[in-house]
Amino acid sequence: MRAALIATLVVLAGAMLLAARDAVNEQPRTTADSEQALPTIGAAPGFTLTSQDGARVSLRDFRGKVAAVTFIFASCSSTCPLLTAKMAQVQDELGSDFGTRIAFVSITVDPEHDTPEVLKRYAQTYDVDRAGWSFLTGSPPLVQEVIRRYGVFASKIGGGDVDHTNLTSLVDRRGMLRVQYLGVRFDPEEFRHDLLSLLDEP
Amino acid sequence: MITQSRRRFLAMASLANAAALVGAPKPHAADAPPETTTIRLAKIPGICIAPQYVAEELLRVEGFTDIRYVATTGAYQHEQIAHGEVDISLHFAAPTILAMDGGAPITVLAGVHVGCFELFGNEDIRSIADLKGKIVGVQGLGSSPHVFLTGMASYVGLDPMKDIHWIFSPSVKPMELFAKGKIDAFLGFPPEPQEMRARNIGHVIVNSSVDRPWSQYFCCMLIGHTDFVHRYPIATKRALRAILKATDLCVSEPGRVAQLMVDGGFTAHLDYALQTLNEVPYGVWRDYDPEDTIRFYSLRLREAGMIKSSPQKIIAEGTDWRSLNELKRELKG
Repeated sequence: MRAALIATLVVLAGAMLLAARDAVNEQPRTTADSEQALPTIGAAPGFTLTSQDGARVSLRDFRGKVAAVTFIFASCSSTCPLLTAKMAQVQDELGSDFGTRIAFVSITVDPEHDTPEVLKRYAQTYDVDRAGWSFLTGSPPLVQEVIRRYGVFASKIGGGDVDHTNLTSLVDRRGMLRVQYLGVRFDPEEFRHDLLSLLDEP
Repeated sequence: MITQSRRRFLAMASLANAAALVGAPKPHAADAPPETTTIRLAKIPGICIAPQYVAEELLRVEGFTDIRYVATTGAYQHEQIAHGEVDISLHFAAPTILAMDGGAPITVLAGVHVGCFELFGNEDIRSIADLKGKIVGVQGLGSSPHVFLTGMASYVGLDPMKDIHWIFSPSVKPMELFAKGKIDAFLGFPPEPQEMRARNIGHVIVNSSVDRPWSQYFCCMLIGHTDFVHRYPIATKRALRAILKATDLCVSEPGRVAQLMVDGGFTAHLDYALQTLNEVPYGVWRDYDPEDTIRFYSLRLREAGMIKSSPQKIIAEGTDWRSLNELKRELKG
């Protein structure tokens, strides 16, 4: 009887210690999380475009997932390959979260030439996971409007080239625009961390 | 991004057609539309303010439809802003502080880049202190080079008013006077340093992109007319976002930006423009605290007797970092 009482007290003490430790750990983590939470810029601009597989894809299809929306064109020989390769690297590092909880969306800035077939070949070049990465095109005016609303500049400059800014936007599970990455030199680890931090949000 | 070439014109025409098909262009979605769609920026002979020269299309993305470049001299750009002729512009830190101390309605919004200016001297000059007793050329009293040099001389213990023989030359560029041997030193701003190197004239005493402490403080800051900033806070933030995006473009694609500046008529020499973009550190707007810059130059100018206000007063009454702080979090790079 006495041994049972001691054992019960030990278990209770242990439980109290664990609870206390969790409470101590919980408090600073909450504070830190709130300090480091990504800003909420506003509602992400919606779109409905056509994927590399010919399917209609809308931003709202990604509701419940974290999405990275960026802009490229298939014949780009300067910065787009760097950007797509960087995202492909992050795709691999995301493991099973990619596709199920995190999606990438690359929208062409050259819709006149980037048909679904062209984008399909482009995607194959980078060995992308089609379940989680959509390459989108559409009518030029429609695409141009999406480009503009995401804060990207794009303009044809002849010779098949498109003058455009590289901007990658993270959209949270509620469809809110949270942060944008300028250029192609951003840290892929920070990018991955931001994606995962949005997954952790309630 | 500059519309003056035929290619640019055609590109803009196709953009306009696209916009017409989908209705009036909607601005960048994040915030409300700008309260005004008109914005006036300065155009100066100097090209270190490259970001605002290539920001035109990015400003359109932000909802501005009437974007004007107002020609002014770089030396007195703050006057155009103070008089309400320019709404927002990159301008040099030190003369901006001087103008603010004089009551000009200017609000500093962000630091954009460091490293614009280089002090050139003849063979007798090896340091700033060697300017004592020497002839230094500037465009005019209170011009940007004059104010910066005054602060620099004061920093090393000189009395700028007494120890330096100033030559004020509004009509002939001090760079040309220096090349002819008529002055001992001058402060050059891009593309002048690049041209001096190409002509192999003089040597650099201070290069503000690498020499401390000057390299630790912004030379170019984004400033706005206070009324514009107060009346149009969303437009202000949108303009700031466009110019900061363009600043990153200067880092990532200097060749493209240099060509745009030439095509747009902002400079004639592609090689000087490209050198400027490669030499001036454009990638630091997130890293340095602009308030440090205001404090540093306010102290220098106060030491030199050029201003009466304390740094705290200048900062409290003449700065607004809210948009910058938001954009630092919203725009990673």
